[in-house]
Amino acid sequence: MKADAVRGHLDGLLLAVLESGPLHGYAIIAAVQDRSGGLLELRTGTIYPALNRLERIGLLSSSWESAGERRRRCYELTGAGRRTLADERSAWSEFTAAIGSVLNPAVPPGLAT
Amino acid sequence: MNATGRHADPIQDHIAALAAALRGPGKAKAQMVQDMRDGLVDTAEALAGDEVSYERAARQAVREFGTLDELVPSCQQELTVRQARHTARAVALTAPFLITCWYLARSAGHEGTWRLPLAAQLLAVHLAGVAIVAALLAAGTLAATGAAARRVPTPRRLPLVVAWAGTTASAAMAVAALALATAAAMVTNWPLLACAGGLAAVSHAAIAGSARLCRQCARLS
Repeated sequence: MKADAVRGHLDGLLLAVLESGPLHGYAIIAAVQDRSGGLLELRTGTIYPALNRLERIGLLSSSWESAGERRRRCYELTGAGRRTLADERSAWSEFTAAIGSVLNPAVPPGLAT
Repeated sequence: MNATGRHADPIQDHIAALAAALRGPGKAKAQMVQDMRDGLVDTAEALAGDEVSYERAARQAVREFGTLDELVPSCQQELTVRQARHTARAVALTAPFLITCWYLARSAGHEGTWRLPLAAQLLAVHLAGVAIVAALLAAGTLAATGAAARRVPTPRRLPLVVAWAGTTASAAMAVAALALATAAAMVTNWPLLACAGGLAAVSHAAIAGSARLCRQCARLS
């Protein structure tokens, strides 16, 4: 799937992979690629400004955590982030249902009586 | 191999080029760049193995990360909004403070044996007007780029508007500082006016630097 098609859904993807708990940047990228089976073509660097924006508007919080000798910035969903994720999910379900009903109609229009 | 005879690190080179291309508040920019460097190093370490050297893995990590052309616009856009918030916060905090200084100077003048010169009073009204408008705009910017941005998209030109509002407020504070210093020289009870003028000068310096950086960021976005 092309990067342009993914970009509009990046916020929802990031919120979804953080639902199970805090993750740092690389783990977020790995989770997105793992869940999509590697089908999403995403420039990995583009997630960082998106994470910063989501933190600014209060959907994520972040903290620096030690991992061995290095420190990594871990991101976590806030309460507002969980509510936004729920909204994103229902909006996506409505969208795919609407598009699906047009692309794959239950009864082909020519056969309807 | 680079000019100094050492093998170049593709990750460090890429991050250095990215950092050089970005403008924004120091802390926010440093955190974003550090976070990106960590992500690249993690990716390279994950890709490296028995048959893949770290250098080759680092080059692949940089390729997957994205080119400067792909990354700079979105990074700069976020840093520009952060700088706009920084400038807006400075204006929102210092503008009411300046108005309070003027008010205190006027109040002290009415109660005591001296009065603020008429020209300075008229100037104060105009400068206070500028400060109030700038402070309201700054408060609106902080709201629009914070939690409200979840539902309403941030206007693209807002950082530029904030930058010029900050520049205007900064100029107003410079004029206020000069006016207060002049007035202080003309009255007997000068310490209060001189103090207010000093504070206006400090406010001017604080906002001017932030507004200048905000203008630079807005031009890059």
